[in-house]
Amino acid sequence: MVIAGGIMLSLYPEGRASSSLQTLLATVITAALGIVLAQGLWRLQNWARTAVTLLLVAVGLYYGLTVVFDAAAEIFGGEQVVPVGTILSITFKALLRLVATGFVPVAIIYSLMRLGTDFYESPSQRAFMDRGVRYVLLATALSAIFIVFLIIVFTVLGSREAIEKIGLKTMLLGTVWRPGSIIGTEEAQFGLIPMIIGSILATFGAVVLGVPLSIGTAILLAEVAPPSVREIVRPAVELLAGIPSVVYGLFGMVVLAPLIRKIQVPYNTGFGLLNASIVLAVMLIPTVTNIAEDALRAVPKHYKEGSLALGATHWQTILRVLLPAARSGLVAAVILGIGRALGETMAVIMVIGNSIAIPKPLNGNPLTLFLSTARTLTGNIAVEINYAAGVHRGALFFTGVLLFLMILLVNSLARYLMRERLPS
Amino acid sequence: MSTELSSRVSAPPLSPPKLGGKEGGRRTARQTSGNLARRKLTQNVAFAFVWLAAFLAVAALIWIIGYVMVQGVQEINLEFLTTRPMGGVTGEGGMSTTIVTTLYLVVLTIAIATPFGVGAAIYLVEYAGEVERENRWVSCLIAVARTGIEILAGVPSIIFGLFGFALFVVALGFGFSLLSAGLSGACLILPVIIRTSEEALLAVPRSYREGSLALGATKWQTTVNVVLPAALPGIITGVVLSVGRVIAETAIFWVTLGGSYRLPTGLRSAGRSMALHVYMLAGETTAFDKAMATAAILIAIIIVLNLVINYTSRRFAARMMGSK
Repeated sequence: MVIAGGIMLSLYPEGRASSSLQTLLATVITAALGIVLAQGLWRLQNWARTAVTLLLVAVGLYYGLTVVFDAAAEIFGGEQVVPVGTILSITFKALLRLVATGFVPVAIIYSLMRLGTDFYESPSQRAFMDRGVRYVLLATALSAIFIVFLIIVFTVLGSREAIEKIGLKTMLLGTVWRPGSIIGTEEAQFGLIPMIIGSILATFGAVVLGVPLSIGTAILLAEVAPPSVREIVRPAVELLAGIPSVVYGLFGMVVLAPLIRKIQVPYNTGFGLLNASIVLAVMLIPTVTNIAEDALRAVPKHYKEGSLALGATHWQTILRVLLPAARSGLVAAVILGIGRALGETMAVIMVIGNSIAIPKPLNGNPLTLFLSTARTLTGNIAVEINYAAGVHRGALFFTGVLLFLMILLVNSLARYLMRERLPS
Repeated sequence: MSTELSSRVSAPPLSPPKLGGKEGGRRTARQTSGNLARRKLTQNVAFAFVWLAAFLAVAALIWIIGYVMVQGVQEINLEFLTTRPMGGVTGEGGMSTTIVTTLYLVVLTIAIATPFGVGAAIYLVEYAGEVERENRWVSCLIAVARTGIEILAGVPSIIFGLFGFALFVVALGFGFSLLSAGLSGACLILPVIIRTSEEALLAVPRSYREGSLALGATKWQTTVNVVLPAALPGIITGVVLSVGRVIAETAIFWVTLGGSYRLPTGLRSAGRSMALHVYMLAGETTAFDKAMATAAILIAIIIVLNLVINYTSRRFAARMMGSK
């Protein structure tokens, strides 16, 4: 009963329910549950022990987080500068509160866990639990496919209006993107060709710049480097994957753009496909390197030994034996890198200029195509979704559907390639 | 046992090699008869390129981190950390409320995604194998579940954002809020948690399970009392990895969180995470120095998280190896 009372108190510290009837109902239900639990505990039933432990853990976590949140809000509330002394005293008070109030539930949980063997569970109860849990776990395993299903349903539903009013063909083949809400008087047009070309060009540039670096790094990690170098390079590559995309974007804006602007071509702003390609190239290094290295390492050792025994040099072995043997894994790595580049959003919109025209060379030299500004499919969504409405929003959802299909295609291809295995 | 486990853990992407055969044989013969000095030279040149590639990758990392850190640190002080952004085109104020919002988002996404992720991993590792042999209908369902996880892992974050916008912000009426952003962010990290937990569970030696089952424990008792505690460090590594993903995420929160720089007052109020703050400062204001400072703090957090991941995963691997 004490525990039931404690649960009630911790659940309703200040009687937050809005009406008195609700409060009454909630109290009755909590009390009934508490009595059932208390009875179970009294009879040393194992289910009651489990339930009470879980409940206490949940309540304890909730309460502990509230304390942390309160302290954080007090320090970082932001209305005025908080001196170091105050920060320390707030932190100390929060810690004190945690220890003082957290002691009781922790002690109860600990003793309940230690007393495990004293609690009783009939074989039928045990079998029931064992079977019931199976279905709950199956449901959690299906959560991912359920989310995929929801994503498809909601993006397609969102784009239905646009498909009906504009038409699939017009959106897929139209060369002008002019949402009416910006221009006003002219008729709105929603052609996605400029963004499709922008996405393809930016990804192409990223692959050209990034893949040689990645494969080279993968060969170094898998074959060439001594362990001491590997210990430095591998964490560095992992860290590249962890850096937020906005940081890459910021770097592109502040450092790369002024550098690119030094190329003397009219209308060169520094922002555009080249900048985006460089940023994306660095971002896809970790993806491609990791998978390529795995592929190289997975080649059975006797392939390499056989080649070396025939008198081939280490490099000949890598080039003629390891790389061909790991070929499909390497291709899969590149394709996954392409998927990563196609899907990247924030870094790209910060450096690519986001113009809605089809990118074209700035002067006679075709290479200046990459100095042109452009916009990607991902950028199209991110730049306009927050204010779009009606058909315009529908067209953006359609952009999402298109992007999703492209990524799905690319990733399925990579997965298909990675399924193939060597006979060892 | 150990070979079976390791072959399941590392998924080697491979194809049958085109060794042997008439053409391949001739080529090898021609090369091995070549001049050794020339072959050594080719090797040295090639290895020089390989070293250069890795050097460039590491140099890019050092350049980015070094630049952001050096530029950002100058701006970081107590005032910047403890006052809130003031808005406006000059980007006045600090970053305090974005720290709290990021903290809320991390806790929310982890709290939502971890039970589902760990549950899914437990099912796929502990239960799926035996069910697949017995029940064709369920084994079909399991194949679908695995495909779902693989697809979800490849979905770009802006699609999660678009989905969260359509479902949580508009259809369910949560508006631009912590709740919408947390639910969308949970979808992003779900596959991360499932995969790392799966690997952690697979690394637990089978003898642990056999010992527990032989003592008369049920499958579920074995899972909870034996397998999960052994796999816990690996699962925690996955959770820390997800924390990093949430902190770094911008696209999802750009379309679901609202971007308000005030302190969130509840699950239904809008906010601005640290990464989003960097984007909004760089995109909408002239305060590049403050964007740099926020980015420097982000990078510092990510580096610390990476160190934690390296440490825990190494310890976990050592422990599992030792107990085999």
